[in-house]
Amino acid sequence: MTGGVLVQSKLPLPLLRRGKVREVYEVDENTLLLVASDRVSAFDVVMREAVPYKGAVLTQLSAFWFDRLKSVMPHHLLTAEAAEIVTRVPVLGPHRDELHGRAMLTRRATTVPFECVVRGYISGSAWAEYQQSGTLAGEPMPQGLVESAQLDPPIFSPATKAEQGHDENVTFDDVVNALGRLTAERLRGASLALYEAGRDYAAKRGIIIADTKFEFGTTPQGELIVIDEILTPDSSRFWPADRYQAGHGQPSFDKQPLRDYLAGVKKQGAWNGESPPPPLPPAVVNATSERYRDAYRRITGSELE
Amino acid sequence: MQALWGERRRIGLWRRLWLALMQGEKDLGLAIPDAALAQLRAHLDDADLEKAAEYERRLRHDVMAHIHHLGDQAPAARPFIHLGATSAFVTDNADLVLMREAMQLLLGRIGAVLVALGKVARRYRALPCLAYTHFQPAQLTTVGKRMTLWMQDFALDAEELLNRITTLRFRGVKGTTGTQASFLELFDGDHAKVAELDIRVSRAMRFDHVLPITGQTYTRKLDGQVLAVLSGIAQSAAKFATDLRLLQHEGELLEPFESEQVGSSAMPYKRNPMRAERMTSLARFVIELEGNAWHTAAAQWLERTLDDSANRRLVIPEAFLAADAILVLATNVAAGLEVREETIGEHIATAMPYLATERLLMRGVKAGGDRQQLHEVIRAQSLQGSNDLLDRLAHTPEFKQLGVRARAAELDPAAYVGRAPEQVDEFLDRVLPDLMRSIQAAAPAAATAEVQV
Repeated sequence: MTGGVLVQSKLPLPLLRRGKVREVYEVDENTLLLVASDRVSAFDVVMREAVPYKGAVLTQLSAFWFDRLKSVMPHHLLTAEAAEIVTRVPVLGPHRDELHGRAMLTRRATTVPFECVVRGYISGSAWAEYQQSGTLAGEPMPQGLVESAQLDPPIFSPATKAEQGHDENVTFDDVVNALGRLTAERLRGASLALYEAGRDYAAKRGIIIADTKFEFGTTPQGELIVIDEILTPDSSRFWPADRYQAGHGQPSFDKQPLRDYLAGVKKQGAWNGESPPPPLPPAVVNATSERYRDAYRRITGSELE
Repeated sequence: MQALWGERRRIGLWRRLWLALMQGEKDLGLAIPDAALAQLRAHLDDADLEKAAEYERRLRHDVMAHIHHLGDQAPAARPFIHLGATSAFVTDNADLVLMREAMQLLLGRIGAVLVALGKVARRYRALPCLAYTHFQPAQLTTVGKRMTLWMQDFALDAEELLNRITTLRFRGVKGTTGTQASFLELFDGDHAKVAELDIRVSRAMRFDHVLPITGQTYTRKLDGQVLAVLSGIAQSAAKFATDLRLLQHEGELLEPFESEQVGSSAMPYKRNPMRAERMTSLARFVIELEGNAWHTAAAQWLERTLDDSANRRLVIPEAFLAADAILVLATNVAAGLEVREETIGEHIATAMPYLATERLLMRGVKAGGDRQQLHEVIRAQSLQGSNDLLDRLAHTPEFKQLGVRARAAELDPAAYVGRAPEQVDEFLDRVLPDLMRSIQAAAPAAATAEVQV
């Protein structure tokens, strides 16, 4: 890994989107370049400090899963090797260090307008819905579930993609109505299969993937593929397996040092929980960075290059 | 399934049939006091099987023994129990109720098998593996596609079950030779009332369809039809289990093995596919039982002979119990299947050079070669093994002269699986959801399968 931390990329390509943590560039009509920055958000606020290696962890972990799960569903990744990206897109030559580890050259696909969320444990907005109405994704659930309880089988809990603010949970029937039954079944089936394969694999390595969000796209040939990032700490809830205990909220595998610090600042009344965030001490930034790298190490079995 | 075929459940059904008959007869005008119905209703599930057995030792007739025992428990009902009926009224109708419920249980079990296999099919929809014909490596398929071979068989069985469940007809209220003469007598020749009684009792037992024609018993053809479906399930399971045993030998696909399970008392390193072996063992039993039902149907004389009875009492419950056990095993095995991706990959790697020769041959001919000559070159080189085969071929004078050699892309297994992944999608997303909805509507949720080893 070279090139240091990256808060925001600036590349000589048309910028299509700038998300909370990544930029999407247009390479040509069939190809995109996704660059994951080292920005980090907590409590829905993006921090000023960047977390070293975070962008590379998100990108390389996605690349690992894409390859490992390609027998479930084809994906959009062409290459996540900076050298190969630069060969294919010569205009990026001078930016090779900036791209190293964090950039993905991908096939371009029309995005399916739903977030395909799978929940294997009840947490977050699902826990809120369950407490309120005893349902999850609109479907009735057994009584007496406690917070963070495992859901077996896991639940497909789609959401609309909101440009602003939070995604809105919808039911499977909403997806059927919007996309037709065949595509809806395929999205649900693929999401559950991808999640279960990832969950089982990560569980053996000390990480509970409590829930996750997949995005899908359709290629010009009509092929449904999985796009964006996949089974990363940012698209999923990662919990340390050795500390798992149902009945209350779980610590986050990756962001806990950050959350603990921010909660402390809030408690002292030094931060109101909204942007701008308080400055982060280097120790907190480094601890968070180490957590991200540990997640990568555990799941892939190798060090981040 | 065991509780369903137990004595207690059967006698409970007989008593409900007697209640439905008595209620129907009273509602259609016979003078039966309310107390008779009330007492009968109060003793639906408390038969004392010992006391009934005492009667049976004296009377040598099971139905009359239970009538007497029920009469003891419900004295006000005693004079009216079984009025106008023959034994087959309770025995046959109860069997039909039990067979239908048992088929619903099996349907739920098949649903569980399909769910478990469907997960593996989805997970490995595009994972290439060797396909075998004659149990010799042929072309490539995918692991998921192979799962759908098994799933489709079970799905066809589920459709048969659904058909049998919805079309199974009740024997109803027909009398000793099926003419309803005793009931016509009871209702003073009122045909409409007798026909109505038949329908009312059937409805009370939740049957929409009644056989219009019976002898003393319902036609034993129905047993044959039901047993044929069970045999079909056994056939599907045996094919699945046998394939699994072959693939476990190849080290590609393994049935679950508990952490403390012992494979062999003498050979501690062994890992035997014993669940799959048990499935084939039980399947053979069920498939053979089917013949009994057809022979029984064929052997019935005129309005009825008793040579059906003892045979049916064994064959029908045993077929259901064994089919149930097979499906519990199938679910357990399917849910715990171990896919050895690495071994599968190694086997493909050995076979890939052979598979690639076909494309090499085509390109060789396109480049001006003689098909027959190149075929012979490939045949001769292939006999020396797959190791370096493509290199060796490239260096033969025939291929060298044509400038034809294997390309890297021609060695990508994914290029050899045809539409296997797409077929998996079509089966899982287009065919299966409708069937699963029908199964869920018609069958109770199947309990998690845990094999009693």
